[in-house]
Amino acid sequence: MTHSLIYRDTDLTLSVEDVTKSFDGFRAINNLTFYLCDGELRTVIGPNGAGKSTFMDLITGRTRPDVGALTYHREDGRDFDLTKLREYETNRLGIARKFQTPSIYSKHTVYENLMLSLNRNRSVRKALVYKESTEDREEIESVLELIRLQERRHEHAGSLSHGQKQWLEIGMLLAQKPRILLVDEPAAGMSDEETERTGELLISLEGKHSVIVVEHDMVFVRQIARKVTVLHQGRVLKEGTFSEVAEDPTVKEVYLGRSKHD
Amino acid sequence: MESVLSRIRGWLLLKDNSDLGFLALLFGVMIALPLGNALFPDGSALHVSSFALGVWGKYLCYAILAISLNMLWGYTGLLCLGQCLFFALGGYAFGMYLMLMIGELGSYGSKLPDFMVFLGYEKLPAHWKPFYSPTFAILAAAWVPGLVALIFGILAFRSRIKGVYFAILTQALTYAAALLFFRNDFTFGGNNGFTDFRFILGADIRIDSTSRWLFIASCLLLFAVYWLVARILETKFGKIQQAIRDSENRVRFSGYSTTHFKVFIFVVSAMIAGLAGALYVPQAGIINPSEMWPAKGLDIVVWVAVGGRGTKLGPVIGAILVNLLKSWATRAYPESWLIILGMVFVLVVLFMPNGIVGLWAQIKARWSKGRLSKPETTVAST
Amino acid sequence: MLSKTLGAYILRILLSSLLTLGTSLGDEKEARRLLVEIVLREGAERAAALEALGDEGDPVIASMVEAWRGGQILRYRTDNATIILFKDGEAFSTLLTGEAVVPATGPKIDRPSRKLRKTLKRIVDLIDLSSPDFDKRIEAALKLGLSQNPQYLPDLKARAKRQEDSNTQRAFDEAVAISELANGSIENRLAAIRTLGSMKSFRARDYIERCISTDGDTKPTDEMVTAAKRAFAEIDSHQKMVDFIGTLFRGLSLGSVLLLVSYGLAITFGQMGVINMAHGEFIAIGGYTTYIVQNKFASAFGEGSSVYGYYFITAIPLAFMVSAIVGAIMEKGLIQFLYKRPLESLLATWGISMVLQQVFRLYFGAANVSVSSPQWLAGSLQVGDVSMSYSRVALIVCVAFVVIGTYLLLSKTSWGLHVRATMQNRQMASSLGVPSGRVNMITFAFGSGLAGLAGAFLSQIGNVGPSMGQTYIVDSFMVVVVGGVGNLLGATLSSLGIGMVDQGLQPILGPVMGKISVLFMIILFLQIKPGGLFPARSRSLDD
Repeated sequence: MTHSLIYRDTDLTLSVEDVTKSFDGFRAINNLTFYLCDGELRTVIGPNGAGKSTFMDLITGRTRPDVGALTYHREDGRDFDLTKLREYETNRLGIARKFQTPSIYSKHTVYENLMLSLNRNRSVRKALVYKESTEDREEIESVLELIRLQERRHEHAGSLSHGQKQWLEIGMLLAQKPRILLVDEPAAGMSDEETERTGELLISLEGKHSVIVVEHDMVFVRQIARKVTVLHQGRVLKEGTFSEVAEDPTVKEVYLGRSKHD
Repeated sequence: MESVLSRIRGWLLLKDNSDLGFLALLFGVMIALPLGNALFPDGSALHVSSFALGVWGKYLCYAILAISLNMLWGYTGLLCLGQCLFFALGGYAFGMYLMLMIGELGSYGSKLPDFMVFLGYEKLPAHWKPFYSPTFAILAAAWVPGLVALIFGILAFRSRIKGVYFAILTQALTYAAALLFFRNDFTFGGNNGFTDFRFILGADIRIDSTSRWLFIASCLLLFAVYWLVARILETKFGKIQQAIRDSENRVRFSGYSTTHFKVFIFVVSAMIAGLAGALYVPQAGIINPSEMWPAKGLDIVVWVAVGGRGTKLGPVIGAILVNLLKSWATRAYPESWLIILGMVFVLVVLFMPNGIVGLWAQIKARWSKGRLSKPETTVAST
Repeated sequence: MLSKTLGAYILRILLSSLLTLGTSLGDEKEARRLLVEIVLREGAERAAALEALGDEGDPVIASMVEAWRGGQILRYRTDNATIILFKDGEAFSTLLTGEAVVPATGPKIDRPSRKLRKTLKRIVDLIDLSSPDFDKRIEAALKLGLSQNPQYLPDLKARAKRQEDSNTQRAFDEAVAISELANGSIENRLAAIRTLGSMKSFRARDYIERCISTDGDTKPTDEMVTAAKRAFAEIDSHQKMVDFIGTLFRGLSLGSVLLLVSYGLAITFGQMGVINMAHGEFIAIGGYTTYIVQNKFASAFGEGSSVYGYYFITAIPLAFMVSAIVGAIMEKGLIQFLYKRPLESLLATWGISMVLQQVFRLYFGAANVSVSSPQWLAGSLQVGDVSMSYSRVALIVCVAFVVIGTYLLLSKTSWGLHVRATMQNRQMASSLGVPSGRVNMITFAFGSGLAGLAGAFLSQIGNVGPSMGQTYIVDSFMVVVVGGVGNLLGATLSSLGIGMVDQGLQPILGPVMGKISVLFMIILFLQIKPGGLFPARSRSLDD
C-alpha cells in the first residue's frame, strides 16, 4: 500500500487494487495493484502470458475480477466501480481501448468510421435522427489531420494499409475524447517509420489524456517510455523508468532466463 | 429530367437512383396488374387472372419477409433461422380475424370457428374476442411477433449469444412454437390451422376485386418496407447496424450499447415479418403450423442468399426468383425438384457469395483480377 | 398332416426339455406310453396316476392332457384290443406310436366325464407349477395366487416348500400370501399383509385394499388396518423408486441417442466451425445402410436362418463406412471451400440435405422402411421390478464404447493430435506441418461416420425414413450448444442432462410441453453460461 500514499495526493484517474482473476485455476492476474495519474503516459511490458490483455479486459469491463477493486476517478471527484459497468458504459465514462488487431469498420469509409466514434449521445433514438453538425465535421477533420488520412477520407477503411488501419483506430479513440486510452500493441506489423510516427503521436497525447500502452517492441518502448510497469505472472514485477527497469536483474531474468520457469 | 428525378429523390429522402427505379417499377406493377385483371376479359392476351394476382401477391409478401431477414442478417450480421415464426405469428393474428368473419357459414353453422365446435368448445376463448376488430388484428400481427422478438432478443443479446449460436437458438424457438401450435388445446386449430376464409373487411374473399385490393396492399407494404430500409440505411443508425456486423466489439467500445441496437432491429424486423404474414394469409387462404417449421426459416435465408445478402434489392429478387423456380420445378420435375433446388443453393453459395445482385460486381472483379492483386478479402461472416 | 406337425412340435419341446433339464419321462415314446396307460385305467387308479402326473410339470404331458380334456383322445375298440387314438380334425393316429390310422367303423368316442374333466383341468392348471421353465412356473403360481381360488391354496403351499430357486420361491410366497388374503384366517391374513408389505409387492396392493375393506364378509381387525398402512407405505415408496429408476433409464437411453447423434455433429460443427445441416441425412444414410444389409441377409440366408440374426453386427461398421465415405466426398467437394464462412456452410449443407432427402425418397420411397430387430435384441432385461429393453441397453453400451473410442482416438493417436491442433489454430497447425487438408477430410468423414453409426442404432428403436434425421437435428444442435462448441465432454454431459430432464419432465407435462420446456430451459441456461458448459476460450477471438 506504499504506492497508494504517493498517488493519493496527485490526480488519479484509475486505481486497480488487489485484483485477482483466474481462468480454470490459472491465475492470469494475481493480486495486482496499479495506479494511473491524470495525463500520464504509462507503458506496460511483460512476457507472453503475463496478463496484459486480461488487465485491459478487466479495466474495460470485458471480464470481471474474482476479487479486488477497479475504480475510475472522474474529474468532478466522483468515483465509479468499474467492476459493475458494461463495456459501453465504461467507454462513455471516458475509457477508450484499441485492440491488438486493428478493429475498424472495414466496409465504412474512413470518415464514417470517425463519425461513428464521435463522443455524442449514443442511444438508439438519437442514432435514428442524427444530423451531422458543423462542429462534428470540424472534429472529424481535426482527427483526420492528426492521423494523416485526410486524402483517403472517402475510401473504405478495409482498403487501408495495416499501419493506416492502426492509425485510424487510434483516431477513432481520439474522436471519442477519452480521458484514458488503453492502447494494445500499436506498433505491431508496422514499418520502422510508421512505428516512429505512432510513437510521436502517442507522446503528443501526454498531458491531454492518460494513456496506457502495452507493447512488445523494445525499440518502440524505449522511444515512448516515461514510466514503465513490468507485468509478470499477473503481478507487477517492477515499476520505474525505462533504464531502471531494463537494468533490473529480476526483469532481465524474466525476459532472458525464462527457461528456468518453464 | 435530372431535376425531376432529384426532386422525387429529395421528396422520398432517398439517395440512390436504383431505389427510385425499383419503387417506380413496383408502382407500375401495382397499377398495371390489377388493371389487367379488371379491364381485360378472360382470354385476352392482357388479362391477368385473379389466380395470378394471388400468386404474385404471395411472392410480394415473401419479398417483404426476405427484406425483414436481410435487415437482420445482411445488415446486422444476425442470422435468424426463426424468421418464419414471426411471419406465421402475423399470419395467425390476422387469420383469427378471418376465422371469426366466417361467422355461421362454417360447416357446423356455429358462430364459433369449425375447429372449436369440433373440439367441443362452448364459447369463444377470451383471447379470441378482440380479433373481431380488423384493426386490432392488424396491430396484433405486428406487436405479437414484436413482443416475442423483444423477449427473446433481450435474453439472447444480453448474454451475447451470436453467430451460429443465435442461428441455432432461433431455430429452436420456431421449432418449439411449431410444436405448441400443433397442439389442439392451444386454441389455434392444431394441425389444420385456419382455412376456408369467407370475408375480409366485409368483402367476399373469393371475388376478383378482393384479389386486386389484396395485391395492391401487398405492393404498398413492400413499397413502404423497402423505403423504410433504404431510409434507415442512410441514417447513423443504419451505419451502426453495419458496424455491428463488421466489428461489434469496436461499436461496443465506442460507447454504444449494441444490445439495445440489436434488440431494436430484431423487433422491427419481426414486426415487418408479421405484417407480411398478415397479408399473406388471405391470399394463400390458409395458415397452419407447418409455416413455422424450421425448414421454412431456412428457405427464407436461402432467398436472401440467392438474391444477395446485405443489398437492398437482393432479398426481393431472391424471394421472387426462388419461388418462381420452385413453382416451375414442382410442375416440370415433380420427382426431382428438391434436388434441383438443393443444387442451386449449393452452387450459389459456392460460386456467387454475393448473390445475383453481386454477380455483376463479381464478374467485373474477375476481369480486372489479372491486373490488380487480390481484391479486398471478404470479411469472415459472423 | 397336422398331426405330423403336432408330433414334430411335441418332439421339439421334448427334445428341448431333454436337452435343458432332462426329464423322468425319457422321450416322446415313453410319454405316449405313459399316457396310454393312464387312459386305459379306470376309476381311483386313474385318478392317482393323474395326480402323480400333475407333479411332473413336463410340457408334453401338459399338451396331451389338454388334448384329452378337449376330447381329442379317443378309445377305439377293435376285435382284440383297445387302442387309443389321437384325433386331429378328421384324421386319426394312434396315441402310442403316432401312426396314422383310418378306423374301419366310427370309433367310440370316450368323452371325459365331468369329474375327469375337472381333474384334468386341475392338472393343466397345476402342471405349470412344476414346469422346468422358471418363468412359466412363476407365471402359473402368480396366476393361481391372484385368482384367490381356495382350491389351489394347499397346492401352492405344498409346492412353496419345495422351491429351490429364490425367484420361484418369492413368487410362490407371494402367491400364497395373496391367496391367504381372501382365504386365510384373521391371523393368516395379518401375516400375509405383513409378508406382502415386506416383499413390496405391487400386485398385492389392490388385494390388500380389498382385504381390509369393511364391506367384505370378514371384518378386518385394527391390527390388520395398521399393518396394511405400513405395507402400502412400503409398496408405494418402492413404486416411486422403480419409477425413478425407470425414468433414469429412459433418460439415459434418450441421452445416449442424443449423444450418438450429436457426437459427430460436435466434431464437425464444434471443432471445424462448420454447421452441417446435412448431419441428419448422414444418420439416414446409416439407417438405410442397415436396411439394405438386412435385405441382403434375408435374401441370401433366409429370414429364419440363424445367420440372419447377425445382419445387424455386419451393418454397424458398414453404416459407419458408407456415411464416412459420403462425408469425405462432401468435404472434398464442398465444405473445404467454406471453412472461413461458417454461416454459408450452413446454407450449402442445407442444400445438400434437401438433395439427399429427395434421393432417399426416389430410391426407397417416401414411406418409412421397416428394419426388424434381430432376435437377440428383442425382449427386455428384468432387474428387480424395472424392465429395460435389450435394444436400449445395447444402445447405451455401444454409446459408451463410441465415447471412449472417440476419446482415445483424439487423445492417443497422432491423427487426434493433428485434429486438435487444426481445430485450435488452423493456420498455425498447417505451418507447423500438419497436413490440414487431409486432417480436415478425415475428421469430417469421422464425424459423418458417427452419424451413420447413430442411424444404424436408431433403426432398432425408431423409424428409418427419408426425414429421419430431421427428427434429431434440432435436439442435437441444442446438445452441442449447451455443451460448449467443440467440447466432447460438454456434449456428453449435456446430452445426458437434456435426456434426463426431458424424460423427467415428460410424465409431468406431457411430451410436447416437456420438450418445449426443455428448449426454454436451454435458452435460460445460456443466459447464465452463454458459451455452454465448457466455453471455447481463445485469445484471438476479438469478435
